[in-house]
Amino acid sequence: MSQDHPAARSLDRSDDAAPPHAHTDGAQHAAPHGLLRWLMTTNHKDIGSMYLIFSLFMFFVGGAMILAVRAELFQPGLQLMQPEFFNQLIGVHALVMIFAALMPAATGFANWQIPLMIGAPDMALPRINNWGFWLLPPAAVLLMLPFALAVFGIGDGALATGWTFYAPLSVQGGIGVDFAIFAVHILGVSSILGSINIIVTIFNLRAPGMTMMKLPLFCWGWLVTAFLLIATIPVLAGAVTMLLTDRHFGTSFFNAAGGGDPILFQHLFWFFGHPEVYILLLPVWGLMPHVLATFSRKPVYGYKAQVYSFIAIGVLAVVVWAHHFFTAGLPVPALLYFMYSTMAISLPLAVLFYCWIATMWRGAMSFETPMLFAQGFIVLFGIAGLTGLVLADVAADAQYHHSYFVVAHFHYALFAGGIMGVMTGAYYWLPKWTGHMFDERLGKAHFWLTVISFNLTFMPQFFLGLAGMPRRIPDYALQFAEFNAISTVGAFILGLSQLIFAWNVVKSIRGARNGLPRADERVWEGAQGLEWELSSPPPHHSWEVQPVVK
Amino acid sequence: MNSEEEAAMFAPEELARRRAASRRLAWALGAAVVALYLLGLFVKR
Repeated sequence: MSQDHPAARSLDRSDDAAPPHAHTDGAQHAAPHGLLRWLMTTNHKDIGSMYLIFSLFMFFVGGAMILAVRAELFQPGLQLMQPEFFNQLIGVHALVMIFAALMPAATGFANWQIPLMIGAPDMALPRINNWGFWLLPPAAVLLMLPFALAVFGIGDGALATGWTFYAPLSVQGGIGVDFAIFAVHILGVSSILGSINIIVTIFNLRAPGMTMMKLPLFCWGWLVTAFLLIATIPVLAGAVTMLLTDRHFGTSFFNAAGGGDPILFQHLFWFFGHPEVYILLLPVWGLMPHVLATFSRKPVYGYKAQVYSFIAIGVLAVVVWAHHFFTAGLPVPALLYFMYSTMAISLPLAVLFYCWIATMWRGAMSFETPMLFAQGFIVLFGIAGLTGLVLADVAADAQYHHSYFVVAHFHYALFAGGIMGVMTGAYYWLPKWTGHMFDERLGKAHFWLTVISFNLTFMPQFFLGLAGMPRRIPDYALQFAEFNAISTVGAFILGLSQLIFAWNVVKSIRGARNGLPRADERVWEGAQGLEWELSSPPPHHSWEVQPVVK
Repeated sequence: MNSEEEAAMFAPEELARRRAASRRLAWALGAAVVALYLLGLFVKR
């Protein structure tokens, strides 16, 4: 198969300057090498790899921050840090995990997989794709720079408001808030660019015969995600810009002393913040049926029902925001509306759970690492859903709000739902990306250590919350000591066990040098879809010969 | 999902048409984003 074709070049601008030449599948163009290659690449697979590597690195950075927090919480009293630094670690941990670890991981998946799955040679806008990624590292540096500046006596550290920037605390905060506002703007631009690229690629570069109702569910999940990002990121950007003008330019949008309204900030923030949860989860929900069908050796159950559920969740996501501040003093009709609309999300979500389980029903199941993570995801994310219903109840939330119950709930959603979902996808597609299998024994060890230590970390936090322990405090009453000690031990095992994953990725990349077998095209016996018809790893221009979907 | 490979490569004209459509849609989405952002800035209580 020749790659020296004008159509192939037309979608990859990095090759514009390269002379035409013929080569075989899997060979690379005479593109820049070394660091310059990664800086200038417009290839979707290169950019996908950069997103994933960046995400993994930041996952460990954000994890290290929260291990310091858990170490402080191992015993009551202040042992390791002052409350101000504790607050900074918590806020930056959340921003790093959300914006620099989970979202880039999902975008990395999208970059790698969407062109492969829809039969496109690349993303539709390759240069924007490159720009979208390279905005991320400077934004991450901006988020964390105030920590370093404080060491040299400049400023008072990173933002200490939590990731929510609530006014009036954020109006009064130090330079860490300004750095975070700037970083959020840049991260937002990156997300918008990525979203636009994904939407136009799915709409315009599908293979002939691939109608929207034949689109792989992973692409559907990402399509809804991309529209959610486009609808909500500008509102977040607007809110933090208003915060910036309140801080430095004399406005009083959120400053009650000047006639502003701090609750307005909460409305604007959570108009973004709640859809953000689905932005993190929809790509995972999209990939889950692929994994379950593959290892059950059955077709996906309820394709249309899942598509309509994604869309329904996308719509509901933007009309339920105020359940995050039921206790702020909203009028009763508003409380009732937001309670019922929040509970309504459980309906399409229940459809998804039903379809996932029905996909496995009476299948010839096998339990390789991706399937184990998928099963762990279903069980643990189910706990997130059920405890979310408890928090959606206005009366119950009056007690649980701002307690460790909330912390436990959203970690079941975002670690068990988000990160374990990302691990599912990573193990599922890793052989396709590297061309070599991973170490199955290490993968299984990673899964079991993760599941056990995750529950050891976060299950006690439900009980801490029920017993009344508030979140975001470095010190606590004596009766909470035992559960906090257990939670800290679990957190350290959880953090350390993720190193197994990193080592497994390195082993798969090194491939034969680590004695791992080559992956064939299909990789998994039951895998279905266009992406499994390309070699592992796929050729430089993923699809040069146009596939036709029957 | 099954597929069959045709002998033909991606037709350059077809790809050019799709890329042009992608650019148009990208500009429209970008304009919607900017409009939303500006709307946020002018929110009044």
